[in-house]
Amino acid sequence: MSVLSLKDVHVYIQGSHVLRGVTFEIPSNKVTALLGRNGVGKSTTLKAIMGLRQSTGEITLDGKSIHGKPTYQIVRTGIGYVPEDREIFSMLSVKDNLNIAVRDSEPNFDLVYSLFPELKTRTAQRAGTLSGGQQQMVAISRALLNRNQILLIDEPTKGLAPKLVTEVAESLARVAGESTMLLVEQNLALVKRVAEHILIMDQGKIIFQGEPSHLEDADFVHSMLGVGGRHN
Amino acid sequence: MDTFVLISITGVGLGALYFLVASGLSLIYGLMGVLNFAHGTFLVVGAFVGLWMSTQVFHTNSTFAFIVSMIVGGIGAGIFALIMEQLLITRLYNRHIDQALVTVGVALVVGAVLGGWFTNDLRLLPTPPWFINTVTIGKAFIPVDRFLYILTALALLGIFVGILKFTRIGLIIRAGVENRTMVTALGINVKRAFSAVFFLGGFAAGVGGVLIAAYQGGVTPLMAGSWLIYGFIVVVIGGMGSIGGSAVAALLIGITKQFVNYYIPGLGDFVVVILLVAVLLVRPQGLFGKVSA
Amino acid sequence: MLRWKYSRPLLGLLILITAIGPAIHLGFLAEPGMQQTLAVAFLYGALALTYDLLFGFTGLLSFGHAVFFASGMYLTAIFVNSAHMSLFPAAAIAIFITSLLATAVGAASLRTTGITFAMVTLAFGEAGHIIISRNFGNFTNGENGLALNADRVPSFFLGVANTRYLFWLALSVLAITYFAIWWVTQSSAGKVFQALRDNEVRASVLGLNPFVYKLLAFMIAGTLASIVGCAMLVISGSASPRFASAETTIALLLMVILGGAVTRWGAVIGGILYSLASTRLQDFSKIATQHHIPKVLSGPLSEPAFTLGLIFILIVMFAPGGLSGAYYRLRQSYFAKKSRKAETE
Ligand SMILES: Nc1ncnc2c1ncn2[C@@H]1O[C@H](COP(=O)(O)OP(=O)(O)OP(=O)(O)O)[C@@H](O)[C@H]1O
Ligand SMILES: [Mg+2]
Repeated sequence: MSVLSLKDVHVYIQGSHVLRGVTFEIPSNKVTALLGRNGVGKSTTLKAIMGLRQSTGEITLDGKSIHGKPTYQIVRTGIGYVPEDREIFSMLSVKDNLNIAVRDSEPNFDLVYSLFPELKTRTAQRAGTLSGGQQQMVAISRALLNRNQILLIDEPTKGLAPKLVTEVAESLARVAGESTMLLVEQNLALVKRVAEHILIMDQGKIIFQGEPSHLEDADFVHSMLGVGGRHN
Repeated sequence: MDTFVLISITGVGLGALYFLVASGLSLIYGLMGVLNFAHGTFLVVGAFVGLWMSTQVFHTNSTFAFIVSMIVGGIGAGIFALIMEQLLITRLYNRHIDQALVTVGVALVVGAVLGGWFTNDLRLLPTPPWFINTVTIGKAFIPVDRFLYILTALALLGIFVGILKFTRIGLIIRAGVENRTMVTALGINVKRAFSAVFFLGGFAAGVGGVLIAAYQGGVTPLMAGSWLIYGFIVVVIGGMGSIGGSAVAALLIGITKQFVNYYIPGLGDFVVVILLVAVLLVRPQGLFGKVSA
Repeated sequence: MLRWKYSRPLLGLLILITAIGPAIHLGFLAEPGMQQTLAVAFLYGALALTYDLLFGFTGLLSFGHAVFFASGMYLTAIFVNSAHMSLFPAAAIAIFITSLLATAVGAASLRTTGITFAMVTLAFGEAGHIIISRNFGNFTNGENGLALNADRVPSFFLGVANTRYLFWLALSVLAITYFAIWWVTQSSAGKVFQALRDNEVRASVLGLNPFVYKLLAFMIAGTLASIVGCAMLVISGSASPRFASAETTIALLLMVILGGAVTRWGAVIGGILYSLASTRLQDFSKIATQHHIPKVLSGPLSEPAFTLGLIFILIVMFAPGGLSGAYYRLRQSYFAKKSRKAETE
């Protein structure tokens, strides 16, 4: 049973053809990892789903088309989005950053504070003064407060120290069990740990779909992802 | 010492008027990136609605009539701002230069319409009799009306801060000033916040228009000219999108202008402009502005 | 660029008709009043074109451009009146000083970008306007404006009978400006201006210093504007503070948008039409009053700003690219049709 499906999605940015017919389905209650070298269009794919980039093609969530709708309506059909560069509101307090994300009548603050106890002690702090890892926690928390059909998470460990990578990975693994997730990630160790399905992208197209076990094969990794795949 | 008190208080009074013009300008730019050249028009519309209220509805210059006219003037300007936003601005979504250009067009057209209907002559706005009184502080005689300007500006500052700090729409506006795209990516229809900001900005400018009419003795379609430019200057010095910044910058400019004009008559405007250039060259984002990416 | 190809015959025709018209006493062009009106319109066409170099070609939204126009006017008038110089040397020095002024103002303002740049130039413009209208140093005669001392103006520029020389002066200034801007925008520096407008990051990656090129554009536009200013001084006989105001720069912006940016001839046509409209719409509105149009309408109609503002809004909303944009769209669909027809035959 697939939750999200893309069919022949194309995106042009300033005249260059960035997505060249992306087609895939995201199975429900599983973590799907979207992999690929730098600049192949992973973030653009997420933005196209979110309605943040104009696209052509079909995009459906839970069987209903969301293509061409304004972003806020797409999100309200049940998407939690963690963008690549966190994009927290740096002038606002942690509390306000979380509050503004609330859509449900009973937001799940308990989950957020149990995953990231640090945030609870820092509710009044201005988000711009948080460390990079804490900012990422805020960004992830915004997506977890509401009941969503799917989470779109773009490189949650980018630019984090190894210790923080583990911490973020732990919390993602905890959430992973009960949710549908499309995770863009370069950290193969994390992918192997949480993903149950992988998509590999190159030059604006999906070139491989399948089991994460393929990632154990060094030649496969090398040919699909180049030497860029990080190991830690 | 007495002149010092006098100039300070009249400077604060002037700053209060600048704040009324600048606060909306700042929020509109900060949230939506719209450089609103029609803000002077909001001011004029507010003044005309206030004039109509006070002469056609009340026929009296009681304090109550003036205050109500002022509020109705604000509401009239707010509604005008909302109509302009819905009719023109929203259709040019994210085309910032075109949005600015359209507001220039609105300013021209509405100015011409009002000029055609009412001529450009000054029309007297009835003010409560106590407006011409003075109070003595120390040995300085302070015109009483200045305190009304200051109180009104403080009240509006309070309303703005209250809305921004304690309401959901305020939270959305504050977040939107920083990163509009992310606000929509959290499932929020940010256009509602745009409309709210246009109404509030129009309201403040309209209230300001009635007070400026009282300050200048009357209402004319041409009354906005230098006030709009001062509004821009205040916004830029204070930092686009920052209400507190606008308040501080308005005070700074009002007081500076009064002091310079007292010692070197006629040079106040010039010094303010130089102040602006100096601030921008040192801190392009303004005193309290966020650093743009 | 291709566009020059299209605009050349059009502009040539315009210049030919208008240049020969007064000489051969062609109809309405023989009237001094009309010649004067057209002369002013040509100068606005030229001025709008200098603004197009800034706004259209280089992407610099300046609100202080009018100051350089006014500086050309005032400095010439001051040198002629107070320093007892004759017109042409005075104008030459005025233009030179203005080019230095533009370089200085540009160097300061171009440290900022975008809306902040717009605001800094607005501030510089207001500073200039204030200096002129408050008569600092007793040079400018304040709000009353500064009349040019006619004794030092060549006699062929004086008197109603000689209005045709003013007309030709304006026309030559327009032609000179046009060719100067054509040359600049076709030059390699001009290509850099446009690259900077489209994508500053990419252009600077190529090792170009954006600041230098933008300053060059700013300086050239300011200098050309001062040349137009000198001509305007001769034609209108006096300088006035309103020429330095932000309203004048905004009018230039309207002209460029009206005619369409980046096509050169668009800005020229926009400037000419705007200027003619502001002087002639009033006559038009008198007719409206006579024909019993209700006062609700006739009032606003008697103000040129009403019609101009309305047209302006409509262009921004529905016809981006202005008149020249519409012209190219028409052409394109015409040729598309023609080629389709050719295919089917
Ligand atoms: N705003 C933009 N302007 C111009 N080009 C863009 C823009 N955004 C993306 N691109 C281009 O589109 C392509 C895909 O970008 P995208 O961000 O989707 O890559 P990615 O796969 O997420 O890479 P990374 O792993 O580095 O995050 C890149 O070549 C990028 O340069
Ligand atoms: Mg990416």
